Order: sequence, then C-alpha cells, then structure tokens
Amino acid sequence: MAVGLLDAAPAQLFPEQVTNALGLPGVVGEFVGALIAAFLVGNVMLAFTGVAGPWAKRKITAAFTDRIAVDRIGPFGLLIIPAAAVQLLAKELIIPEGADRPSYDLAPLVLPASAMLGFAVIPMGQLGPVNLQLADPEVGFALTFAFASIASVSLVMAGYASNNKYSLLGGLRAVAQNLAYEIPLIVTAMSVVVFTGSLRTSEIVAAQQEALFTVAGVTIPSWFAIVNPFAFGLFLVANLAEIGRNPFDIPEAPTEIVAGYQTEYSSAYFVLFYLGEFLHIFLGGAILAMAFLGGASGPGPASIGFVWFVVKVWAFFLFTQWCRSALPRVRIDQLIEIGWKGMLVLSFANLILTAVLVGVIAS
Amino acid sequence: MSDWIAIGALAVVGIGIPLGMMGVSALLRPSVPEQGKRTIYESGEVPTGSAHIRFNIQYYMVALLFLVFDIETVLLFPWVVIYRPALNAGVPMARLLLPMLAFVGILTVGLVWAWRNGAVEWMSSPRAMRRKTERNQP
Repeated sequence: MAVGLLDAAPAQLFPEQVTNALGLPGVVGEFVGALIAAFLVGNVMLAFTGVAGPWAKRKITAAFTDRIAVDRIGPFGLLIIPAAAVQLLAKELIIPEGADRPSYDLAPLVLPASAMLGFAVIPMGQLGPVNLQLADPEVGFALTFAFASIASVSLVMAGYASNNKYSLLGGLRAVAQNLAYEIPLIVTAMSVVVFTGSLRTSEIVAAQQEALFTVAGVTIPSWFAIVNPFAFGLFLVANLAEIGRNPFDIPEAPTEIVAGYQTEYSSAYFVLFYLGEFLHIFLGGAILAMAFLGGASGPGPASIGFVWFVVKVWAFFLFTQWCRSALPRVRIDQLIEIGWKGMLVLSFANLILTAVLVGVIAS
Repeated sequence: MSDWIAIGALAVVGIGIPLGMMGVSALLRPSVPEQGKRTIYESGEVPTGSAHIRFNIQYYMVALLFLVFDIETVLLFPWVVIYRPALNAGVPMARLLLPMLAFVGILTVGLVWAWRNGAVEWMSSPRAMRRKTERNQP
C-alpha cells in the first residue's frame, strides 16, 4: 500500500491560485486574492470551532461521563450550533466597574487573531486541485510559535483589565504557565528542525514522506512521531500546557478561580475568548500534525490530503477532551516544578541526543 | 514577497472576523442597566477594594531565568537550521556539535546553580508564612 506522497503537490499556494483563477493583476490583485484565500481559511477555522465548542465538546464529555448531551434541536442536536451562536451574541454586555477600558476591549480581539495568524504557514494539504496553504516563508516554523505565544499577552490584558481578583490570579497563572512551557515546547520543536535542516513548513512535511521501513507489506512513513517518539511525547505535553488544557488548565481552573481571566467577560467578548481558546487547540493540533504526524499525508491520493489533516487535528482535539475528563489538574507549584525541573532538562537532552544521532547517521 | 502579503491578509481577516462579531453583537444585544449589575464578581460578596494592587508574583526568579533561556533558544535556532546541511556538506560532526554543547553547558551550570538555590520553585511569600505561623502559636 502506497503512502500518499506529496510529490504531486502544486507549487502554487492558495492565495496565488485564487489570484490566478480570478485574473487579478498587480500587487493590489495579489492582496485581494490573498484576502479571499485568508477569508476562506479563516471560515474553515470558524466552522471547526463552531462544531467543537457548542456541540462536540459537550457530546464528548457526555460520552466520557455516561450521560446524554445536546439532543433536542436537529439531528444529533447539531442545530445547537447556530442556536448557541445567536444566543451568545445576543447577550447583554456587562462591563465591570473599574475595568481598564482600552485593554479590556482589546484582549478579546488579540486572542483569536493570534490563533488565526498561526494558521498562516500551516500546510493543510490539498483538496482536489486546491493547495490549502496561505504562506510558506523560510522562517515558517518559528513564525507559528511566535504568533501562538501572543495569546498569553491577551490573557494578561484580560486578567488585569477586569479589575477582578480571580481574573488577576488567572492572568498571572497564565504567565507562569507560559514561562514554564514555552522553552521545552520550542526546544523540542528544534529537534524536528535538526532532522529537516529547514524551517520552511512545506519542507518539514516533505521530509516526513519517505518510507521508514516496511512491515508485512505496509509501508511505515518516517513521521517524526515514529522516528522520535520521545520528542513526540514531550511536545504533546508541552503543547497541552501551551494551549492551557487539562491537566494544565490552571489559568482558568473553574473550581478554583471561577474562570480566571474570563470571569468578567460576557456577550460577544466571552464568545471571542471561547473562540480563541478553541482556535488555539486546533492550532496546537495543526502544529503537532505538521511537525510530527506527517502533515496532510495519509493513504490515498494527495488530493484528499486535507481530509487527513482534519482527521489529525480532530484527533488532537479528542485527546484534549479525553485529558479533560480523565486527568486531575496540577497545582501551580507542581506546574513550575514539572516545567523547569522535568520538561526543560528532558527537552535539552532530547535536542542533544537527536543532534548526535543525526550526526552519526549523516556521517 | 507574496508570503508576507498572504500573512498580512490573514491578519486583516483575523482581526476583521472578531470585530465583525462584536459589531453584530452590538446590533443584537439589549442594554438594561440596573443597580449593582456592573459590580465585579467576588463569590456573591460585596467586593473589597480594587484588584489593581501590588501583588506578589511568586515566580519572578523563574521569569528572570526564562529571559536567559529564551535568548538561548533564539541563539540556538540558526545552529539548528544549518546543522543538517553542514553535515551533508562534509563538515565533521565534532566541529558542529562541540560549540553548541559548550554553549548549552554554560547555561546548564546556571540552571543547576539556580536549582540548588531554590530559584526554580514556587516562592512562598514571607508575610503570608509569618501570618500562618503566628496564627498557629498558642
């Protein structure tokens, strides 16, 4: 069985394809084409969060806890999605007394925007002739992490501007968490770059397409999760902490500090935080799929790559929900110890080991 | 060049969609001001004081360490990127690996020092500790 190789991938990226298809001339045409492409990709992401937030999350939690959830409106309760959207947007906006206004209003903008920007360089695979990748700059891989980590700025802004003690604690906890896990995350990601020798995201995916070995007629691709499972495990844990999911959801910790930085937010502002968080889960899944799970590759032709990408991203989402149902939350002092005494040391050990192994293999 | 145009376009969309949602919500939502509605939430109690206070963040030593390691990761990135191509170009492995090991080694010594001095731990506030111990005295 052949593993779907991306060698037939068109050289053109999605914005270029749109620009050429519409025949838009010049730099302005390029920008308009890019806007249309970005709008389409942005709406795919919105659709993901729309399905995940009001529907899939409840269904999954209900399945884990042996209950029934959202089955009143529509088939499988699916119409809860538009209903929840209208309901949440039509809520009254209550701004707390003494809120720090510009910051209070900007924080819900920053979180979803940072998550969406992270998707700019993710190769989402092909869907028919369409190559779903917006940009492929040389620094792509580092750029996703740079965009994703803007999120913690938003959490601090929200936490401080709300004038609420729980929010303040939540914001400060978000900082502590990011301080502890950003470095292990990026150092582990570096061990992938040691293999590829490039930060270009399309090359990172392409490097994982070669066959590693063949077992009973099935070709195992050289996905980095298979080549270096240790790094994969480290990255998975650091990723959970980075996006603030259980067991590392201490910035929200509903049973300790109400909802942390979200406590004082309502209406559209709350929706945007919720949206931003789900976008970050999907961005985390997308980075994981890109760096360790062979991006959009899978059995079948390259033109259905996007389907495999969606499967991988949703598998990661399911994993976060599994953790949410199964794992207790760590304490903040434990979090700092796990981050600085465990993950940091392990991630550097992993980087050096990987470098030595690559050196031995290459020479 | 078109890469950065695309990223700029996505930034416009990424800010435009949330702004659009805020706009739609502003058209839809009611505004019913009531006494005490805007009070900040404090478990149903009347809130005491503001949250804009001087607050002991108990991880400032960790934050200092973070700066050091953050710069280290930034400096490591170019090394990581050229490592494989340089190996393929025939540069001996020791010449590539040893300088990086020395660089990481220096920081490891720093981390060990910080670890032994208890910097990578949750700092307990001296005032809170005193209050707790005084309370326990007979």
